[in-house]
Amino acid sequence: MVILENVYKTYRNGVNALNDVSLTIDDGEFVYVIGNTGSGKSTLIKLLDGEEIPSKGTVMVNDVNVGRLRFSKVPLYRRNIGVVFQDYRLLEYKTIYENVAYSLEVIGLPSLDIHRRVREVLDIVDLQDKARSFPNQLSGGQQQRATIARAIANKPKLLIADEPTGNLDPHKSNEIVELLEKINGTGTTVIMVTHSDYLVDKYRHRTIKLQEGHVVADMKEGGYMPDVQSHRP
Amino acid sequence: MFRAIAHDFREAFTGLARHLAMALSAASAVMVTLVLVSVLAIVVANVSQITRNIESDIQIYATIKDDVADDKVDALVQQVKTISGVTGVTFSSKDQELTKFIDSYGDDGKIFEIYRNDNPLKRALYIDVASGSLLSQVSGQIEAISGISKVDFGGTTVESFITVLNDVRFGGMVFVIALTVLAMFLISNTIKMTIYARNKEIGIMRQVGASNGYIRRPFVLEGIFIGLLGALVPIALTIVGYRYLYEALGGQLVSGMLSLLPVKPFAYQLSAILAAIGMTVGLIGSLFSVNRYLRWKR
Repeated sequence: MVILENVYKTYRNGVNALNDVSLTIDDGEFVYVIGNTGSGKSTLIKLLDGEEIPSKGTVMVNDVNVGRLRFSKVPLYRRNIGVVFQDYRLLEYKTIYENVAYSLEVIGLPSLDIHRRVREVLDIVDLQDKARSFPNQLSGGQQQRATIARAIANKPKLLIADEPTGNLDPHKSNEIVELLEKINGTGTTVIMVTHSDYLVDKYRHRTIKLQEGHVVADMKEGGYMPDVQSHRP
Repeated sequence: MFRAIAHDFREAFTGLARHLAMALSAASAVMVTLVLVSVLAIVVANVSQITRNIESDIQIYATIKDDVADDKVDALVQQVKTISGVTGVTFSSKDQELTKFIDSYGDDGKIFEIYRNDNPLKRALYIDVASGSLLSQVSGQIEAISGISKVDFGGTTVESFITVLNDVRFGGMVFVIALTVLAMFLISNTIKMTIYARNKEIGIMRQVGASNGYIRRPFVLEGIFIGLLGALVPIALTIVGYRYLYEALGGQLVSGMLSLLPVKPFAYQLSAILAAIGMTVGLIGSLFSVNRYLRWKR
């Protein structure tokens, strides 16, 4: 369960990224967050994964007050969430297998269990034959699937995807969203940030639209939404 | 536990191998400074050794007035012992003094045996002092005691020689410490660069849930290895170079009193110290840097 209460975020350079955002996302939901560049989407993700602290308000994820986490506790919190980035963020000198295994090694899982689980998730994302490859030997879509494998390896209750299709062609984008839907089907909450109207229209889910740091729409039925022209705080 | 340690070592070695050029440049920075440290340490240690030799050889020689009764001598010895800086007092009777005098002339000295029954020499005290710098001060205090006739020590030349040696020793020590600090700066800077190249990596590690300690350990191990690597050449130079120097000089400077430290324990002890400095410097340098880049991203 994700609960944002009256969250504000002002960066040190004076940019107001989020203004009075309140949201509730239930367990097992699939939610799109859409909006233009600079609408606050990325900030929302950074607040959820603990990279940024809200200037005001509270961010609760699975009963953890994310903004109140001590610096050293942030990685421990992240073991319970999975994050997928547009730029993949794989460790370049490790193979795909080792990249996925790393997130399990850090929690001290026995190597036999690690082996089993890595095979399992590589199977889910259909990358079994790329286990021994290094990230730079893979296509963008494959790298993105590898990061999804890494993100779900810990069986997180929440999966956050920050523009996972940003660097991919439409065909590969469909693949990624279908994969996320499959993961959502196993009970994992999925929050996907995107600016692809096409995907939002094609795979309908609850859609939250951000504009200039405000939630301007939150539609259960989903679908594409035009900008709200008149909005000014 | 064992698995975790094995993991840390594996990660440290992969890190070294994948950033070999940077690791080598950091190691050579350590190498250069440790060579200088080694040279200075050899000088300082030998100067200390020579100073100690000289100090242990010099004694204050005090004669006792003839009008002091033999049964009062003990009290006199006790009085000298109470002076601070005095570590030992040996009494020498008229007879013993004559024997010493005769011995000092070797075979020719026998001729002085005629004085055995009418001995003109005075009874004497040989006084050991804790440090060479106390010689004149202690002598003065002994001279002031009634019953003492004359006080003698090697004179001010010995004292000033010891002062010079002490200055060299102190100066060398300051240099060694300064160089060690410099080495620490050099290595922490170079390691900082190797880690800076990997701050993205550290960010990803935190992203997937690696605790700070888990990230830090391989980096710190890597720093220790770099320091050790940098100490290898200086250690080899120390052992080979010092042995050569020792043999070339025949183990001493000018005379036996100025003897050098033997190669056997000294060069190896110094090597151990160099290795320890290298590893400590590597540890501290990498710890500083990795801590800094851990903070790069929340």
